[in-house]
Parts: sequence; C-alpha cells; structure tokens
Amino acid sequence: MLDRKIGIVDLSRNSVKIVDMPKDIRAKYLGGRGINTYLLYKLLRKGVDPLSPNNVLILGAGLLTGTLVPNSSRFNVSTKSPETGFLGDSNCGGFFAPEMRYAGFDHIILKGKAKKPRYVYVEDGDIEIRDARDYWGMNTNDAQVSFRKNLGDVEVACCGTAGENLVRFANLRTGVKNSAGRCGTGAVMGSKNVKAVVAYGTMGLKIKHPQKLLDVVKEVEDYILGSKLTPILGSVGTPLLYEVSNELGAIRTKNSQLNQWSDSLNAENIEKEVEKMIGCSSCIVHCRHRNKLGGEGPEYTSVGLLGANVGIDDVKQVIELQNIANDLGLDVSSAGTIIAWAFELFELGIINEKMTGEKLEFGNFEQARSLLHDIAGREGFGDILAESTQAAKKFGKKSEDYLIAVKNLPQSDPHDVRYIKAFALGIATASRGADHLRSRPTLEIFLRLPKEVKERIYGKGVSPDPTSYDGKEKTVYFSDNIFAVVDCLGICKFICHGFNSPHFLDYPRFEALLEAATGMKYGRRKMEAVGQRVVDTERMFNIRQGLTRKDDTLPKRYFDDPMPMGPTKGHHIDRNEFDAMLSRYYKLRGWDEKGMLAPSRVEEIKSVGGLP
Amino acid sequence: MKVLNFYPERCTGCRECAMACSLVKFGECNPRKSAVTVIRDEFKRYEYAVFCLQCDEPVCVDVCHQNAYTVEDGVVKHDDDRCIHCRLCAAMCPYSAITVHGKDIVKCDLCNGDPMCVKYCATNALVYEEETKEMALKRKEMVERILGTP
Repeated sequence: MLDRKIGIVDLSRNSVKIVDMPKDIRAKYLGGRGINTYLLYKLLRKGVDPLSPNNVLILGAGLLTGTLVPNSSRFNVSTKSPETGFLGDSNCGGFFAPEMRYAGFDHIILKGKAKKPRYVYVEDGDIEIRDARDYWGMNTNDAQVSFRKNLGDVEVACCGTAGENLVRFANLRTGVKNSAGRCGTGAVMGSKNVKAVVAYGTMGLKIKHPQKLLDVVKEVEDYILGSKLTPILGSVGTPLLYEVSNELGAIRTKNSQLNQWSDSLNAENIEKEVEKMIGCSSCIVHCRHRNKLGGEGPEYTSVGLLGANVGIDDVKQVIELQNIANDLGLDVSSAGTIIAWAFELFELGIINEKMTGEKLEFGNFEQARSLLHDIAGREGFGDILAESTQAAKKFGKKSEDYLIAVKNLPQSDPHDVRYIKAFALGIATASRGADHLRSRPTLEIFLRLPKEVKERIYGKGVSPDPTSYDGKEKTVYFSDNIFAVVDCLGICKFICHGFNSPHFLDYPRFEALLEAATGMKYGRRKMEAVGQRVVDTERMFNIRQGLTRKDDTLPKRYFDDPMPMGPTKGHHIDRNEFDAMLSRYYKLRGWDEKGMLAPSRVEEIKSVGGLP
Repeated sequence: MKVLNFYPERCTGCRECAMACSLVKFGECNPRKSAVTVIRDEFKRYEYAVFCLQCDEPVCVDVCHQNAYTVEDGVVKHDDDRCIHCRLCAAMCPYSAITVHGKDIVKCDLCNGDPMCVKYCATNALVYEEETKEMALKRKEMVERILGTP
C-alpha cells in the first residue's frame, strides 16, 4: 500500500527515474492532490511558461485509490495551467488511477519535451517511453480503443486533438467520459509531445488490516446506501442540480444575462436518454449515465454550460455537444463558458463578423457544434476561442466585463452565485480559479436546512439565510479543507460530508478507513491539518506566480448586475460585504489582510523533507 | 441449494466484488487476483462478472492429475497444498472461471456459504440465492426472445 513509487519521466532526455515516496511528504500530504501540489511547488520556478518543456505534468493517485474503500477511484493531474497562469489541478475518476497503482506507481511526473510523439507505458514497476506515431492525431475515444486493441486490457489517460493543438482548455481523458477536465492539463501533455500515459498492473495493494477494512467498509457502505439521497444520485446523477438551480432562478443562462432556462433539460428528460447507470472503480453510488447517443453523461455542468448557457434547450443536442467535446478532449466547463461569452460579445457588437467569420447567435446548435471542432483544430475563429480567457487580448478590454471567470478560469459550476453568498466566496477563493469542486458548500442550496444542522457542520454564527454574508467564510473554510482531504485520499466528493448531504463521510470515517488500510493513525485535527496544508501550499504556488488579493474576486457581472428573473430577482453581490467576508475568510485561514501566509508558515511548508 | 447468480443489468462495473474477494483471500486489493473477475469495456458498453459456476461435473476435477480439486456439498474446492500450479484447470475450464495470478490459482469456494463478493456488491448484481420466481420468469423471457414471440 505504501510501497508505490514515484516515476519521473524526462522526455527531453528520454530517460526514466523511479524513486520511493519520501516518508515526510507522505505523512504531511497523504497522496493525490496533496502530494501533487507539494511536488509542483518544489519542481517549478516562478514565471515558467506552462507550455514550455520547463513545466511538469503530475499524475497522482489518492492514498486509498484502488481499494475496497467506497468510491476510491480518483487521481489528480497537476501542472502550471496554460489556461490561467496559476495552479492547474484537476481531479478525475474512472479506472486509470487504480491501474496506475496496480502497475506500481502513485505518482508519475512528466517533464521536458519529447522530440517526436511519444506515449508513456507503465507496467508492474517499469516505465517505458514509446513511439506514439500510430496514435497522434486521434481523438480520445479512438486513441483509447486503439491502445486497448494493441496492448490489451490497459487503462489510458490521453489527450485528444485539442491537447495536441495546445488548446488552453484541452483536458486529459480516460474512459468514455472521465476527464481531468480543468485548467488545460491536455494542452500541457500535448506540449510535451505526449499522447498518453498507458497503464497495466497486476500488483495488488497490500492492506494493513484486512479484516478491519472489511468491517469498516461494510459499516460505511451501509451508512451511505441507507441515505435517502444515494438512490437519487445513483439514478439521476448530477443533473439533479439543474432543476434545483433553475427553480431557484440561479442557472447560468446565455452568459449570465439570464438566470432561468427551460424545464426541458430537467433530469427526468435526461433519464429518457439513459441506457444504464454505471460506476467508476469501487463506486457504490454509480452516478454515470451510459447514454443512448454513444457516450456517457451528461453531467450537470454539461447540461448547464452546453445547454442553458449557450441557449440550447434540447436534451439530445446537449448530449451530442458533450459527447463531441469529450471526444475532442475539451473541457466542457470552459467550452460552454467561452462560447457563450463570444455569443454575447457578438450581440453587443464588441466583436464582429470580421473576426468571427459569421453571425454568432445563442441557441444555434449547429454553430456550437462546429465551434467545438474549430476550437480543437484551432481553425478560423476557433483559434481565438482556443485561447480561453486569454482571448480577451484579441477581444479588447471591454470584453472582460462579460467574462464569467475568476483567476482566468471560466466558472465550472452552472450555478449563478449572485444569490448564495457562500458559493460566491467559494469560487472567488478556489485555488485553481472559478470552480465549485474546491469548496462549494452545496448545503447552502437546501434552503430549509435548520440552523443547528449548519452550525454543527460549519461552526457557530453561520446564518441559515443563503443570501446573508454572515459566517459564510466558515462554510467555505470547512469545505475547502475536507474536499482537499478527500482529494488526497482519492475518494469521490459524492460521498463526502457536506458536498451533497449533511451526512456522508466525515473525518472520523476517513480516519478509520485510513488506519485500516495503511496503519496510519490520524486524529480529526491532524486530518484536517492535511487539508489546511494543501490549501496553504496551493496558495504559496499561486502567490509565487503573482497572485494577490485582487485575484480573489468575482466576475464583474456578479457584483454590478442584479439577477433579472425568478425568486432570486434583484440579488447581486455587494462589494463591501464581499470584501469583509473575504477578510474574515483570510483570518480564518491564518492569512493576512493581503491574503499572504505568515512567513513562519511558509518556512514550515518549505521544510517538508525528502524531495525525490 | 443456493447458487451464486449474476444479473448483468444491475452490474455497474465497479469491481467491489473483486476487491473484497482478493482482500479476503490474499489480504490485498487486486481485481486481477480475485475469484470473481469483472470483464468490462466502456467503449463496447458492457460489464460482466465471471466466476466459478460450481459445475455438477467439473472439468477442473477431471483434468487435475494431482487431485487438488474435490467436491464438498456441491462446492468445488481447490487445495493449494496438492496443487503444482500447472494451470491446466484454468486452461480447460469452459467458463474461464479460474483465475491465474503468477503462481496463484484463484478459485471461488463461496466463502463457506457467505460469499464476500455478494456482501460488498452494492447493487445486488451478484446474489447468493435459491432458484427464484424472478429467475424462472427471466428464463421464460429469454425463450420468448429467442423464439421471437411478442
């Protein structure tokens, strides 16, 4: 279990080095996102060009990934983001990460740049750099099917043509749907002339206390399966949230000009297109839809961002757009946000046909579809959109007022955060930019949750009113920490306390699972301290790249334009209230008014020992 | 008599059955070292569990020249002390239900009547059960499907 290695693949030198995991790094960061972040901080210097050979791409499996622990399928892909210039980090499920561990590796670091297209093959303790000419130019489905045809029952994490063409929001894909979607991980892989990391492993993960793990897992499983929410998540999946957000009047629509959209995208209509629900490795929730149109999904993000946000209300069209984006290796969140941004800029006359080559309009499915292809191929106007938020340089300063992004990252959550203030603070402070999977206190959406329940989870002084700013820093702080911990352990957020439910797995259950599997003993405080340390290390990485307090902000529209429709009508984010809430969040984190860490904390983190 | 049944339409491909099996038998989590193997392919869109069906006339018993296989109360059991790890049983099993992992022969013994794969299957895709009405109905449906009867 603790014997898995770090593989360092130097593509420039065509060499591989295999090293043990330093004990201190393991103890302080556990695995997955935590260790990735620490390695990234140590391996990169300030100002490195993300698409240059000097950047690194780290694939890191969670510490419990690939075990009997429910929903333990996940890994993180970390790099300096070519989309944002800040921390690039993306968490992904599926079957790749368990396979990488069975092949003997917890972390694989890609550095340098290969002279010709290559793929990295990993099997039972060995790593080879191999010729990828037969796979270059393929999209993610064909590439994976070809690898499996040629190499057998392997698992693949690959980029598509979007990654090869250095689209700044190209992703890494594994399986039909799973993606390390955010921050341009696929572009970094492409920039290294690498098509894929391919794994095959037969080396099981030795469990420290087998009977104990069987017992703890059984208890955890019964607890999760006993929840009223689990069968809903397992039959509806994330699209459940579309209706919830839409009813509230908080679904991002037409680049957030509107905040409500058609009922036609509700989960009940999506279910008609579902053939079967399936799971990732070790998953007991099975939220993945195998759709009748040849792919998987859609997730809530696709429904919102390739549906409502681009003005499309037909379920089949949304699914088709999502299947295409997945195959090309494009992040659906960025794609849906950037296309909608361009549509509005065209409506406003900020950009025109001279640049776009055609009239752009919301709701035009054919146009959205061809834009996805053009982005991935960097053809025509697609070449500009492929720059993601950096297209603002071409569109002009005024265009930035309409961009729904934070820290240069388009917002992932289809939820319009002007109403729920905790969501706003979450996307403003998330370490990788506007994102809901770092710290969204989802429970805020359940409007009638009693004050006691909220205070029990988040602490005293949290207002039960989602539109109040009072105490909301605590909801984000709690979520930020515990989500970092699940990302280190490799467990899916779907069963994490506070993500979907006021129940599900909290620190004590993580501790019990960790101890049974590895023998590592962590009390509640020590476990939460891992989460705090991960968030602080990510902050240090970002500060080194030039991040300041002014980057912890929101799209201009969320401050200045009140929501136009529905029960949320009139709500917006008040700049002064937001600023005060941000200061309180910094204080809770131990950061100063400028959002900087104490020098002693920086030294403490820098001193974690044993860099390979 | 109870038998281990598999319902593919309920299987999500998660492999918790194999994780539990390898953990109980070898103290490790390893889907390739389990008596139940989930064959799955997302691109071809299937997931299917393969395991020993405890045949009435087991080929493994017949072909094993070391008498490492015996039948006890309807359960085909493998004795590793007698086994010379020639893998003939795995090669000859008509259902490919015997797993070979390095030198190890992994064969389902129904965990003394409390199969762990069943216990950790969250969707009841694997069930240890007597002949049920549901199975009888399924059989009828299958026949009608083959015959093309509406």
